[in-house]
Amino acid sequence: MKFKGPQKEEMISAGIDIGTSTTKLVISRFTLMNMAGGAHVPRIEIIDKQVIHRSPIYRTPLLSPTTIDIKKIEDLVRKEYQEAGIEPKDIQTGAVIITGETATKSNAEVMLHQLSDQAGEFLVATAGPDLEGIIAAKGSGAYEYSKDTGKVIANIDIGGGTANVAVYKSGRLCGTCTLHVGGRLIEFKDNKIQNISPPVKNLLSQWDSWMVEGQNINPSAIKQVTDFMADVIARMLNKALTNEDLPLLLGHEPNWVEDIEAIMFSGGISECIYRHETGTVLTDGYDDIGLMLAASLKESSSLAGWNWVKPQETVRATVLGAGMQTTEISGATIEADHRKLPMKNLPVYQIRFEGDFKTEINQLSKRIEEALDLYDPQRDGQNFAVYFSELPYLRFREIDEFAESILNAMKQKPNQTQALVLVLDRDYAKVLGQTLKRKAPVQSIICIDQIKVENGDYLDIGQVLESDVVPVIIKTLTFQK
Amino acid sequence: MNPELVEQITKMVVEKLQMMTAAGDTGVEEGKKITNEDPPAKMEVKFWNHRTNHVETECNQNPGCTVSVHEQEILLEPKPPVGLENPFNKEELDLLISKTPARIGVGRAGLRPKTDTWLKFRFDHAAAVDAVYGDVDSKILESLSLLKVNTKVSDKEVYVRRPDFGRKLSDEAKQLIDQKCKKSPTVQIIVSDGLSSKAVEENLEDVYLSLNQSLQSLGLEVGTPFFIEKGRVAAMDDVGEILTPKVIVYLIGERPGLVSAESLSAYLCYEPRHGTIEADRMVISNIHKGGIPPVEAGAYIGTVVQKILKYEASGVSLVQKEQ
Repeated sequence: MKFKGPQKEEMISAGIDIGTSTTKLVISRFTLMNMAGGAHVPRIEIIDKQVIHRSPIYRTPLLSPTTIDIKKIEDLVRKEYQEAGIEPKDIQTGAVIITGETATKSNAEVMLHQLSDQAGEFLVATAGPDLEGIIAAKGSGAYEYSKDTGKVIANIDIGGGTANVAVYKSGRLCGTCTLHVGGRLIEFKDNKIQNISPPVKNLLSQWDSWMVEGQNINPSAIKQVTDFMADVIARMLNKALTNEDLPLLLGHEPNWVEDIEAIMFSGGISECIYRHETGTVLTDGYDDIGLMLAASLKESSSLAGWNWVKPQETVRATVLGAGMQTTEISGATIEADHRKLPMKNLPVYQIRFEGDFKTEINQLSKRIEEALDLYDPQRDGQNFAVYFSELPYLRFREIDEFAESILNAMKQKPNQTQALVLVLDRDYAKVLGQTLKRKAPVQSIICIDQIKVENGDYLDIGQVLESDVVPVIIKTLTFQK
Repeated sequence: MNPELVEQITKMVVEKLQMMTAAGDTGVEEGKKITNEDPPAKMEVKFWNHRTNHVETECNQNPGCTVSVHEQEILLEPKPPVGLENPFNKEELDLLISKTPARIGVGRAGLRPKTDTWLKFRFDHAAAVDAVYGDVDSKILESLSLLKVNTKVSDKEVYVRRPDFGRKLSDEAKQLIDQKCKKSPTVQIIVSDGLSSKAVEENLEDVYLSLNQSLQSLGLEVGTPFFIEKGRVAAMDDVGEILTPKVIVYLIGERPGLVSAESLSAYLCYEPRHGTIEADRMVISNIHKGGIPPVEAGAYIGTVVQKILKYEASGVSLVQKEQ
């Protein structure tokens, strides 16, 4: 870490996206600075993000159709780090994500853990279709667009295996949806159909289609499938999926209420539409339905009704989102025991102070018991973070009572040597942390504020930086109302 | 204008006002709710009660009480301005309004502000004036056992016109401090009303207790704290000469503004003495309910004191040494 003067600091973030068809990596540098005036309590913000290295787009190495070649991926990551001139220990934040169909491979989880341990001290391993859509929308520029214009925009990230949709309005997440729509759902070899993925097979069986593996390619039959996929996307955007479409739906139905005003395509299929990447012939040689799907989208009359906004990034949207848009910075006045950091994958239990402060703190023990029942039902020591929201304005004596109640309530935890992880929505982290430490000097405490999380989110907290803040990655699956 | 017409118009205005009062009832409810959540927020402007003398006696009987029932009835803060009636994009406007305490999106009536906006403005201005001319409630000083001393200023008018008098301790003050206070402590805490007595009344207890906890947990020795009435920041130099502390933390009421009349500042200085230059003082400002919460500020000041002691410097010198 370079330390430039008392007020500027840099940190390195990595993003690795292992998708159905392609794997890519970005390394970026964040500049942090105190944005509060000299006479104020510091407020550290990320003021600049620069990509310092982009890898080429690699084909995702597979050992067999169901196993990822972990060794090749590791080699690839090491090689890219070398080219960027950094070492794993330089990396302080970022995310490795496995997207699309790759997440369903048999050794996906093993690989995530191995990679997140080797690729840098603080790297978050995450997967899941909703989160992918959110990350892609941030990387493609759709999120920025909604913030700048106040419009409702759907980002549709289509890769090899899935289409991940995230809808934003004025920078607020309205909902997500995922479809089995992607370039690699039908693969070819030597002018024959080599593989048809199960969701498409289900669809074809509904149609009584004769298309099977091993047949010669029939362009008009393929076009029928890709045209249908384009129509399903349109119906999904209108929240009007029919029973016939359901084989292509992955997970929940569209869950936003707003009407979509603009759409943006990102992902590999978007690259087939826009051809952003210069110099490389990325879209050729995949021998699948990618190009035909892109053509169907372009021609689709049902998608023509929306305003198509050009993405800033196509195939790299997800990796840029993962590497650059996932990190937040905590408040600068916090208490964090650096010996216990970094911490990964802490589930968040939210306690709202809706009623009177006294009543709420009297119920604290009960609430912590509920949290334990939820996240550590066997009482085998799964740690969790408690998020106190809607805190009222607190006087010192109230902070004191609050700390007392927290310590009492936490006695229920099976493993008392674990750090207490507390997140506050108001700026009280330092005083609460100090009060807790005074009352329980041996207890290790991580008390941070100015981070907004929700019940059910997962939290990663990085090592304390020079400017006394911690980087935090929130893996959210809930929607902001 | 004929008298009948005047009468008719008056009647219309009175009727309109009554209707507005009825409609304003919801606003009153909201006001009450806020009051319940934040007891210290009750009173921004002193309303002189012209009807009864109940206030003082009731308060004396009940130690925890600062405002009587009677007073509460009249102490309703004007509703926040209603604002634009049909904004082009309400969501965006609300977002902007939530980001600043400035009076934006308040709408207008012709060329003038709306009555609500205007009343709120007058109210805030009155609160600012009261904050300058008020005195700190002695109960607060007693509860924190703060000794009270004076500067060379006798009354508020002099205080406002002669800043130099506010920077010098009176002879009695020097004597008293010399007799009663611990010599050469590591940290000396001083409190002063400065330009806002309200700031001290609202925030002192929380900043003070939190700061003490922070200094204690850092193992720093704290001297005998005291209160300087009608003081200015540089009065710390006189204290530095008498008590020779390593660091002075001087909590003083800020010049009130229209956003807040109760903002407190903490000035810090390493070994202040006569001739200390302003660049060697540093400040943590904006300590109040709507700014840095007082409890959090106290906890933070402790760590700044620790840094000052580590580098044996404050203000610009500290920044230079840090690099």
